[in-house]
Amino acid sequence: MSDRYDIAVIGSGPAGLEAAINAKIRNKNIIIFGNKDFSAKLVKAPKINNYLGFYNVTGKELKKHFEEHIKKMEIEITEERIDAIYAMGDYFALMVNQKTYEAKSIILATGMQYGKPIKGEEEFLGKGVGYCATCDAPLYKGKIVTIIGYNKEAEEEANYVSELASTLYYIPMYKGEYKLNENITVINDNPVEIVGDDRVNKLVMKNQTIETDGVFVLKDSISPSQLVPGLEMENEHIKVDRKMQTNIKNCYAAGDCTGKPYQYIKAAGEGQVAVLNAVENLS
Amino acid sequence: MVREIGGSNFVQEVINSETATVVDFWAPWCGPCRMLGPVIDEVAEEVGEKANFFKINVDENQAIAQKYRISSIPCVMVFKDGEVVETMVGFRPKQDIQTILSRHL
Repeated sequence: MSDRYDIAVIGSGPAGLEAAINAKIRNKNIIIFGNKDFSAKLVKAPKINNYLGFYNVTGKELKKHFEEHIKKMEIEITEERIDAIYAMGDYFALMVNQKTYEAKSIILATGMQYGKPIKGEEEFLGKGVGYCATCDAPLYKGKIVTIIGYNKEAEEEANYVSELASTLYYIPMYKGEYKLNENITVINDNPVEIVGDDRVNKLVMKNQTIETDGVFVLKDSISPSQLVPGLEMENEHIKVDRKMQTNIKNCYAAGDCTGKPYQYIKAAGEGQVAVLNAVENLS
Repeated sequence: MVREIGGSNFVQEVINSETATVVDFWAPWCGPCRMLGPVIDEVAEEVGEKANFFKINVDENQAIAQKYRISSIPCVMVFKDGEVVETMVGFRPKQDIQTILSRHL
């Protein structure tokens, strides 16, 4: 059993960082998950003129300022990818591969990188569509399974499932060498729609259609409602109130993931509101 | 209390039950199932006599899993008069499960 943090921040963009520094100021025991670049969008920005106090900076320069700031406050970013967050009632369980972190409250600052779902993906979720092949593989014993893989890790899952399924199709959404078992059929095509009646029965692609009993979509980044089961969304954004509180108690959200406009200072402001409310609820 | 049942007593305990019945389909290798287990325990505790709670290991009871076309676990089904009246796929926070159950109790 790991320590239970007061606050876990998921995401290291402006919203997540602002949340982290304010939590630190309030002397809370925090953990922030993200990466060294903080945000892929930030380092790509050529020029920023709408972040108060920083006229005419590049994204990289602004990132440097952020970096110095958190360093001075002794905040370190934990470079791990959260697979799922479960609301256990009085705490949250954050799953990272085989590890679990626990936090009393969480702040989602995941940005908006995840791609759009395939047509039919949401409709057939749990009716043949799944996001964890290793979880549900035994239910597809002797059946036809299709895996749409967005990264190398998906190959491992495919190999595992291929030992149980009668047929396994692998649709890679990236280029490279595929380390797959011989009994796996690789299809290089673009998925268009998942179709079926009350269950999945076909996957329609640009150039062909295959019969399949199950489709697993294995992506890099997943939508917030898959990351936190039970989280209420409003279209593609997390639903929040003025306190940045979501429908789940002690779960807050800030930044692009809550909606437009997608701006740095809006994200930072939301991160601050979210964390101050989280702090208030902790005491 | 949540009791473990299997194929031999499913009809008697779930289908022929006069009380609403909540069935948690799970397996030991499924991470989200292990997280949901204690949540269901808590819900069962709070609901008390108004419903019966069972869990079924899908590995050991494939016929039932197939009959109810379980394609993702965890999967929680609510039975009333032998019929499935609610299906919840995937992990759910306690509050969600309570809200859904309250419609049937």
